[in-house]
Amino acid sequence: MKDLWKWLLLLGVGAILGLFALGLGHDTRAIPSPLVGRAAPDFSAPALDAGPDLRLSDFKGRWVVVNFWGSWCVSCVAEHPYLIHLGRQLVGRSDVVIVGVDFKDSVEDARRFLARHGDPGYRHVFDPRQKVAIDWGVYGAPETYVVDPAGVVKLKHTGPLPVGWFESVLQPLLTAAR
Amino acid sequence: MWIEIGHFAAILALLTTILQGGAAVVGGALDRPAWLRVSRHAAFAAFALLTLGMAGLEIAFLNHDFSVAYVANHASTTLPTFYLATALWGGHEGSLLLWAWLLSLFTALAAWRHWSTHPRSIPWVLAILAVLLTGFLLLILFLSSPFERLFPIPPEGRDLNPLLQDPGMVFHPPFLYLGYVGFAIPYAFAMAALITGRAGDEWVLATRRWTLFSWMMLTVGIVFGAYWAYYELGWGGYWAWDPVENASFMPWLTGTAFFHSVMVQERRGMFKTWNLFLITSTFALSLLGTFLVRSGVLSSVHAFANDPGRGVYILAFMTLVLLFSFGLLTARSDKLAAPARMESLVCRESAFLFNNLFFLVASFTVLLGTLYPLAIETLTASKVSVGAPYYNKVFIPIMLGMLVLMGVGPLLAWRRASWEQLRGQFLLPAGIGAAALVSAFVLGVRHPYAFLAIGLIFFVASTHLRDFHQGAAARMKQEQVGYLLSLFRLASRNRRRYGGLVVHFGILAMVVGFIGSGLFQEERNVLLKVGDSLRLGGWTLTLESVGQQKKRNWQALEAVIQATHDNGETLQLRPQKRVYNKHSQPTTEAAIHTGWREDLYVVMGDEVTEGSWNLRLYRNPLVSWIWWGTGILCLGVMLALTQGRRLRRKTA
Repeated sequence: MKDLWKWLLLLGVGAILGLFALGLGHDTRAIPSPLVGRAAPDFSAPALDAGPDLRLSDFKGRWVVVNFWGSWCVSCVAEHPYLIHLGRQLVGRSDVVIVGVDFKDSVEDARRFLARHGDPGYRHVFDPRQKVAIDWGVYGAPETYVVDPAGVVKLKHTGPLPVGWFESVLQPLLTAAR
Repeated sequence: MWIEIGHFAAILALLTTILQGGAAVVGGALDRPAWLRVSRHAAFAAFALLTLGMAGLEIAFLNHDFSVAYVANHASTTLPTFYLATALWGGHEGSLLLWAWLLSLFTALAAWRHWSTHPRSIPWVLAILAVLLTGFLLLILFLSSPFERLFPIPPEGRDLNPLLQDPGMVFHPPFLYLGYVGFAIPYAFAMAALITGRAGDEWVLATRRWTLFSWMMLTVGIVFGAYWAYYELGWGGYWAWDPVENASFMPWLTGTAFFHSVMVQERRGMFKTWNLFLITSTFALSLLGTFLVRSGVLSSVHAFANDPGRGVYILAFMTLVLLFSFGLLTARSDKLAAPARMESLVCRESAFLFNNLFFLVASFTVLLGTLYPLAIETLTASKVSVGAPYYNKVFIPIMLGMLVLMGVGPLLAWRRASWEQLRGQFLLPAGIGAAALVSAFVLGVRHPYAFLAIGLIFFVASTHLRDFHQGAAARMKQEQVGYLLSLFRLASRNRRRYGGLVVHFGILAMVVGFIGSGLFQEERNVLLKVGDSLRLGGWTLTLESVGQQKKRNWQALEAVIQATHDNGETLQLRPQKRVYNKHSQPTTEAAIHTGWREDLYVVMGDEVTEGSWNLRLYRNPLVSWIWWGTGILCLGVMLALTQGRRLRRKTA
């Protein structure tokens, strides 16, 4: 009994260290989105390419990958090569489509970004006043959402998409839904 | 060229430090004085070498040597020289180097100062410090070297993070580190005491000034951080209970508990194990602070180095240090029996006991709040955040309890206080406190915490003033000199006691600031067009114009706001939204008018619709009392620091 405090002390220290050990591998920036499992907020917004306005509901019946980015975002540069790859991969597929949302940006900066780092080929919503970004609860950039054919948000990815994301994350979703 | 010299010097410093540790252990265990002398000189050499390492990096900065990766990432040619020179600790690698350099500086100082006075402890002190420094140098050299070259050499650097281009941030890390690292010396002495089994009073006396110094530096570091947050981050406050802020606050709390309870050990020989526990915890929490910032295990505005590799290393190192220290403490504590017992509930000892209780509960609260989100996230994959409401709920009552003790404790007699004495001492201050309560009520203060705090502040201030006054009056009578001179003599005869009381005054002033700004802040979040005005407190604020401003490495949008007080005072506020050339994220420069009664604080937001601007305006009462209180606190600590180890007996 007299030595109880010693064991409690060591146990406490051990518990804290153990907690850190467990927490170390954790991605502290991944924030669970309340949108997951709910209907995606629709948007109807001008496109970056001066074509017709983009509407999320236009893509009903298809899987939609919504990628939020901006020319001011450093991590987006790192993510960009994979987006180009993904854009090529998905060209001509009827079941999946990618849409970019360029937010908090200017048209010139955004076009310069695409000219400099390459155009992934899909269309972008232009959202200078962050209306879409705020509706979707975007926290930073880049962030990527996956919306299923019924218009329900299936998952959110915070930070650059890693190479192989399509095969390891999206493809299983598509297969499971079939 | 210089960077290689610096790098090489740092590698040599690592080897010298290992030598320092090894020689100290051999010298201490086998009683070989020659080995000890080797260890001591190795400590000096390590300091000299690390100084060279720092110089190498500093020269690279001043020369804009972008071939050094660390310089290229944290400086640019347009960075003003002041920030260029201090960008050294603007990132992870450099701040670690600063940590290590300070540790080697303190180690060298300890080896120099305590060599002849504490021959029994010094071998183990040198060994412990060498282990710590080795741990940090390994981390620096192998996992986060600031000496790496970059190829191809970029023509221009990426510039220092704009948020760090602020005087508050320049001084925040060094002072904080001085505090953190400073606690390593008392910690090493405590460990040495446990190893040698002589945990008597030697280590307590040896480390008093180290503790006070480190505590002062930690306080200043924390306040600089708060000041920076207040001036630079633009959210109207200075403390957000962010995990990393908490990490610096926890060692402050245990450190404060430590140097209070150590007085009991010095005077009465009690609380021996307890004090060892406190200093070990203080240093452990300092390490934890470093770990939290550097590993990115907690999400926080500070977690800029999200690198699990470093995290694993720091965690392993911390595990080693913590298990060793707490293991040693539990294994050896039986040897330390207190010769004296508490004689009465109402005495100075018990006041200190309660003081310790409060501080420990406070730090435990903070620890819990900091770790809880991590635990939830790790164990259940959902996310929670613990914010100000939790801390305010538990912390303000604890703070009020501490205020009571602060008023009562210093005046209580050791061993046993008599009721007559108590009545004589506390009747007047209690009356003043009660009068303050009544006037606060009449003036319309209804917030229960603010109400109690006002009474307590007056109570504590009057007990302390009374103490000064009585001492001075007695001396005036005895020595037939003027009041001011006798006040001065009183304070200079017993600098420890009166220094401590001055520190209490500083704390009181800070509490005034906390209560004023925490409970009475007014905030307006508005859309204004040029020419619009609004009322805030006694002020009328008018948006006069919005224009462009440009400086060397930034340009900004600036609003001009005319403020007129009901008493006729007018002033101009110019909040800015700055864009630094190398960074596209804009930073806010809040416009702040500081007065002793209140601060006006204006932050510029976006242009929401054509011609109308989002502005956030705050009236923060009494904030500047926090900064001034810190100044008073430092004066008090410095006064206490000037007195030597032995407490001089009172002559009167």
